[in-house]
Amino acid sequence: MKRTVKRVLELIVILMILSFFTFLLMYLAPGDPAEKRLVSQGVVVTKEVLDAERERLGLMKPFFIRYGEWLFGVCRGDFGVSFKDDMPVGPKLLAGLANTLQLAGASMLLSLLISIPLSIVAAFRKNSIADHIIKLFAFLGNSLPNFLISVILMYFFCIHTKLFPIIATGSLQGLLLPALSLSIPISGRFLRQMRQEFLMQISQDYITGMCNRGVKRRYIVGNVLYNSTAHVLNIVALQVGSLMTGSVVIETIFRWPGIGKLVMDSITARDYPVIMGFVLVMGTVYVVINQLVDVCMGCLDPRIRMESEGHHDKA
Amino acid sequence: MLEIKHLSAGYEGEQTLHDINLTMQPGEILCIVGESGSGKSSLIRAITGYKGLQVTEGSICFGGQELMRGKRACANGVMGREIGLIPQNPEGSFNPIRTFEKQFREMFASHGMSMEEAQIEGAFETVGLQDYKRILKSRPYEMSGGMNQRIAIAAAMLLSPKLLICDEATSALDVTTAQLVMDELLQMRRDLGTGILMVTHNLGIAKHMADRIAIMYQGELVEIGPCQDVIDHPQHAYTKQLLESAPRMSA
Amino acid sequence: MTKRKQLLIRIIICATVAGLIVLATMFASFLAPNDPYATSAAAIRQTPSAQYPFGTDNLGRCIFSRVLYGGRTTIGATFLLVAISFVVGTLIGMLCGYFGGIADRLLMRIADVALAFPQMVIAIAVAGILGGGIFGAMLALGITMWISFARLARSHTYSMKNQSYISAAILAGKSNWYIITRHIFPNLLAPLLTNGLTQIGVTMVGISGLSFLGIGVTPPTAEWGAMINEARAYIQLSPWAVFFPGLAIAVTIIVFNELGDLVMDYREM
Repeated sequence: MKRTVKRVLELIVILMILSFFTFLLMYLAPGDPAEKRLVSQGVVVTKEVLDAERERLGLMKPFFIRYGEWLFGVCRGDFGVSFKDDMPVGPKLLAGLANTLQLAGASMLLSLLISIPLSIVAAFRKNSIADHIIKLFAFLGNSLPNFLISVILMYFFCIHTKLFPIIATGSLQGLLLPALSLSIPISGRFLRQMRQEFLMQISQDYITGMCNRGVKRRYIVGNVLYNSTAHVLNIVALQVGSLMTGSVVIETIFRWPGIGKLVMDSITARDYPVIMGFVLVMGTVYVVINQLVDVCMGCLDPRIRMESEGHHDKA
Repeated sequence: MLEIKHLSAGYEGEQTLHDINLTMQPGEILCIVGESGSGKSSLIRAITGYKGLQVTEGSICFGGQELMRGKRACANGVMGREIGLIPQNPEGSFNPIRTFEKQFREMFASHGMSMEEAQIEGAFETVGLQDYKRILKSRPYEMSGGMNQRIAIAAAMLLSPKLLICDEATSALDVTTAQLVMDELLQMRRDLGTGILMVTHNLGIAKHMADRIAIMYQGELVEIGPCQDVIDHPQHAYTKQLLESAPRMSA
Repeated sequence: MTKRKQLLIRIIICATVAGLIVLATMFASFLAPNDPYATSAAAIRQTPSAQYPFGTDNLGRCIFSRVLYGGRTTIGATFLLVAISFVVGTLIGMLCGYFGGIADRLLMRIADVALAFPQMVIAIAVAGILGGGIFGAMLALGITMWISFARLARSHTYSMKNQSYISAAILAGKSNWYIITRHIFPNLLAPLLTNGLTQIGVTMVGISGLSFLGIGVTPPTAEWGAMINEARAYIQLSPWAVFFPGLAIAVTIIVFNELGDLVMDYREM
């Protein structure tokens, strides 16, 4: 119970720092927001118009009051209005996030479907030809930048063979190629780390014991998977960041209407409230996922649970 | 039943077994005696198909089937029902975070057997464990090393293999439990005709159990023969030395 | 013993290839057959030929020359950024680990918090707001990059500080400066350089990724990521305009990653 409270407090502090950093970033951004806003709307900038705009945007108030007002708004889901079209930022972010989650979820699923069976094969047949091929794939996937992979995939599947549409619309067919581009580098990292983890499990005494009792291969695989669940979860959590970055790149290339494409469009348009919202939303999702995984890790492996409870008793 | 011919094997760069020849009849008890580093454990690893050990020459046949060349014995379905093993340190041989019940179930299922609680209860009793129900519900990491050892020994016996290999298995047990296990092994031989290959450095146990004794020294099988013959008329210099250094039995 | 030697040979081969790539881009001005920025309306999207070994792009610029010059941008920025992070991170980590105290706790807390955020997401926002330019991109990536060096340097310094030979040096009346430069820094160098090596691939992906998104270098500066981004618009007309910068970036990253892996393995043996 105490631990839960501590975790929640920690989470709040980190999110406060994130919000402060985001606000500071915009505050320090070169140029005058009021002027930028007017320019991005195509208004002719004069001194009077500029001052009126500044007053209206609350730019004349001191820094901390502005931060407080902004934070208060954000907590109620009010991320301000977009410079570009005066529409509220919140719904824009939400719509983008929903699409991004679709893409990210599909990619994560695909990555797991690729990497778990392959890393099992690689680990159980260490140093076989299959293992070497899988290792090579992992190395390439890990090394090649995702934008290069998606451009190559796009060339072969959309332009060369015309199997898929170039612009990913909401359809399942449109989702496949972006998801694949996003999942190749992530699978590369998964394969590497999961193979390592499974090899570690295989080298344990209990596997030798099971072999000696003649336990069937499928049960042995089951035991290995069971024992590595906590670590696999951690491996997955480590890639959430690259999933987010990747989605910005992939969404831009395939014009997937997610939050990543939204932010790139907003960067081009200098639409600061949207960029702020993006950092805040992605940061929050990232931090929350990581905290959740930490908690789950403890629940999954009874030994970790025992250790941490032991720590808690001492503390 | 077991036939080893011209077996040479070793670990990376180091030869630990030289030209071993050995046959065992069904229901025979053979004790292999030797000091540490004599190659006893390597021999067992060669039979059970341990991954790290590389067989360079020779063959091992079990019931007419060859168990060889890198292919693990467990991979071709020999381990468990045909050959059972009680390893040197059996306490780690169960998955530490799953219940014994699940693991026993998987073990029996692997051999197409059904899990019968009465049998488990009996096997647990022979290794001095009461309250089998509570044990089945618990996980290895919650138990002491000694408990885990006994459960592993019981598990190997439950499969009633044709050949049971014991690698110094009783050395870690207390005297009374060790005695129980020995008696049970003899009982298994009597009832089921189980052959037993025992590795020990304890001449007393060898004398008590064995039909034949084999002496290993520096990776070679230097002497093999009926129990009494080897003890009364040792041929090899090392055997003589071994017998002299052993504390005199109350003959 | 033989395995160690094999590994060493592979490291030498890998390092040689890496060195050749770096040299080729450093001497781009000597090796490039054409001016990378000279546009030519007469030579738009030409296939590879003797005059243009990798063909030309949409503006008739020589892709081979642009790949060489682009490598100078990508590799140069990467090396500079890793070097700066190395120096800053090591200095901070070493001083924190050696002196401890409030500054140490504060800085390490900052490092923890900074690592709690998605680094590339922040980098995209920062680079986007700074509005392009290679230095904006480097700053955006550098915000978090020093941390890995600082943490490594701190933990090594901290464990070294408690060893007897450091205590002996302190008792012998050596100055802190002397101990840090003579005892601590030389022992830190190997793990830190290994870390630096593994950071090169990641940084290169970061810089070219930001440039690809249009928030790294400003056009018409040649840079691999930016070149791929420009050329993907007309990839069906001239795939070589994407292929060659793509190949360059792939090979370079693979070589540096492999080198990092090999050196790590070597040090662990």
